[in-house]
Amino acid sequence: MSVLHEGSEPSRHRGPVRAPQSLAGGLLLIALAALALWLTRDLDQGTLNAMGPAMLPRWLAIGVGLSGLALLAAAFLKNGDLLERWSLRGPVFVIGAIVAFALTIRGYSFGSFGIPGLGLLVAGPLAIILGGFATPEARLRDLVVLALSLTPFCMVLFGDLLNLPIPVFPQALTGLFPADWSQKAVLRACAAIMAVAAVVVFLATRNRRRGPIDVADHSGRI
Amino acid sequence: MGDFFSNLSLGFGVALSLQNLGLAFLGCLVGTLIGVLPGVGPIATIAMLLPITFGLDPVGALIMLAGIYYGAQYGGSTTAILVNIPGEATSVVTALDGHQMARQGRAGVALGIAAIGSFFAGTVATLVIAALGAPLTGLALVFGPTEYFSLMVMGLVFAVVLARGSILKAIAMILVGVLLSTVGTDLETGEERMTFGLPFLADGIDFAVLAMGIFGIAEIMRNLDHTEHRDVVRQAIGRLLPNKDDFRQSYKPVLRGTFIGAILGILPGNGAVLGPFASYTLEKKLAKDPRRFGRGAIEGVAGPESANNAGAQTSFIPLLTLGIPPNAVMALMVGAMTIHGIIPGPQVMTKNPTLFWGMIASMWVGNLMLLIINLPLVGMWVRLLKVPYRLMFPAILMFCAIGIYSINSLPTDVMFIGLFGFVGYVLIKFGFEPAPMLLGFVLGKLMEENLRRALIISRGSMETFIERPISAGLLAVAAILLVIALLPSIRKGRDEVFTE
Repeated sequence: MSVLHEGSEPSRHRGPVRAPQSLAGGLLLIALAALALWLTRDLDQGTLNAMGPAMLPRWLAIGVGLSGLALLAAAFLKNGDLLERWSLRGPVFVIGAIVAFALTIRGYSFGSFGIPGLGLLVAGPLAIILGGFATPEARLRDLVVLALSLTPFCMVLFGDLLNLPIPVFPQALTGLFPADWSQKAVLRACAAIMAVAAVVVFLATRNRRRGPIDVADHSGRI
Repeated sequence: MGDFFSNLSLGFGVALSLQNLGLAFLGCLVGTLIGVLPGVGPIATIAMLLPITFGLDPVGALIMLAGIYYGAQYGGSTTAILVNIPGEATSVVTALDGHQMARQGRAGVALGIAAIGSFFAGTVATLVIAALGAPLTGLALVFGPTEYFSLMVMGLVFAVVLARGSILKAIAMILVGVLLSTVGTDLETGEERMTFGLPFLADGIDFAVLAMGIFGIAEIMRNLDHTEHRDVVRQAIGRLLPNKDDFRQSYKPVLRGTFIGAILGILPGNGAVLGPFASYTLEKKLAKDPRRFGRGAIEGVAGPESANNAGAQTSFIPLLTLGIPPNAVMALMVGAMTIHGIIPGPQVMTKNPTLFWGMIASMWVGNLMLLIINLPLVGMWVRLLKVPYRLMFPAILMFCAIGIYSINSLPTDVMFIGLFGFVGYVLIKFGFEPAPMLLGFVLGKLMEENLRRALIISRGSMETFIERPISAGLLAVAAILLVIALLPSIRKGRDEVFTE
């Protein structure tokens, strides 16, 4: 990562690097090749007649490394593209949302510390709302409505109709419903509650949010 | 000839059952629904929708997947025409004249001719597959491990030559892809390779996880970097059915496009991607007034769209007859088939004829469905195109997460799509094209297996690859292609084709 930031800005003034994108690409490939060679260092290469487990990976890694070196050389010899501008916000929130989903869907334990399995009921909205903030244009209210309406849809589609083995709600939740309710019934009830909540949030916050935007819009036009 | 018809009627018997018709319809519908979203290509669409086919029997699942594939393809063209955002390489060409037609208030005609051209191309391609399927499967039986290895090398060289941008980078990506495929337990010796001692890597990297990360998540991150500028057509869609003049102008391009696309699609190594470009260039050369191109010429939509669809279908041929996926979409099909317990290859046709011919017949049915679904539903797609990206991508994100979780019920798989998404994002930023990597990954395991077998048979002599005539011929083709692609004059032409 740090290489990118060093390479991206001053490239125009600093003489030797003529294609920062190739430089970064070459370094990436060399690093990858080195990693693969290091990981296969203890494995047997075998002979052509009886190839060992390390034969192909090792030669491929050498090939990748050579491509990297060629790119690196090209970066100093030929003019090429600059590195594109990037932001960290997108990747950070998107990956954050994915990790949050992965951790909460079935629960996870790191030694003594553990996260209970919360199911789609929690993981879905978490992914949508957290992921939604990957763009600077995010609006919490819209994301909440989206989360509250899409999650029940997915719960019914995947859990009820398609019967996929995906945890839908935390087991503790069954205690809140009458004991003779089946899992499916609890699922449908949860989905219905969420859908109603989505409508309520949508209606309750509609007027309040629209007011100021309309004003801004008018003043902008005048 | 008798075989040809009896096989097709067997196929239609399967495809026209009420359940399979329904599945084809549903597949086309949801495929178009997701494929029409800007920035979601066929690969991400299929990966996302893969889980909904799990509960079905293999025949039904494959029919539905094929429907999803065509739907996603057609959805991409719709987006290209209406919004000028091509979902993938093959619809770039459609966007050129299609979007101009849309701006002139002829969006309906552009969509109509695209659907009709695609349907015609699909019909021809279905017949081509049915006719070539049996003889090519026979060819596969002549192939030993040596020939298979050389054929895959040739496929990868094709992929390098056809990739956009630097050839060196494409080669590097292929090598990285094959390298990634060697992660996991070595089948021959049982030793773990490059797993970091992690148990979930012992079986290797899951293809769906890699594809979803690189084509689904990375694409989201990349789209977020560009401030959104969506140019949804404001003009009326207009009438959908082309009139007599339109037909007169476009029937020849459709015929030529179908022919070009069908031939290029058969080539291993993603030849299908070249079809639309070749067709567009040809139509422009043949036109009386080439200046009309780029300003809403109907030939510029009819030809490439037909070529696109013909190629999309004939690219099933290497997969169904030889078991070699020619591009990333077909690689996903391999993944889907394996999940349902079918190993693609020449044996499918003999062991499982209802599946083989049923799927081929359902390709035609799928094309017909698209014609029926899309024309009346255009209004709905337009409305869908107006949903802002800030609301679309969190939904896509959640669907990806649910989809990948339900394949293996492993939370680590979900985390890996995040990791590969970031890797894909970095690669795109460094100017690497991820598609060749995915192809290398898919062919990697097959290549290693065949390389090993070939070398055991030849007792460790590499010369076996040039001593056996078929293998030598395939390798020669690969070498010639690579040399030609590296020649400076051709390289310039290649760059022009892709930038045009």
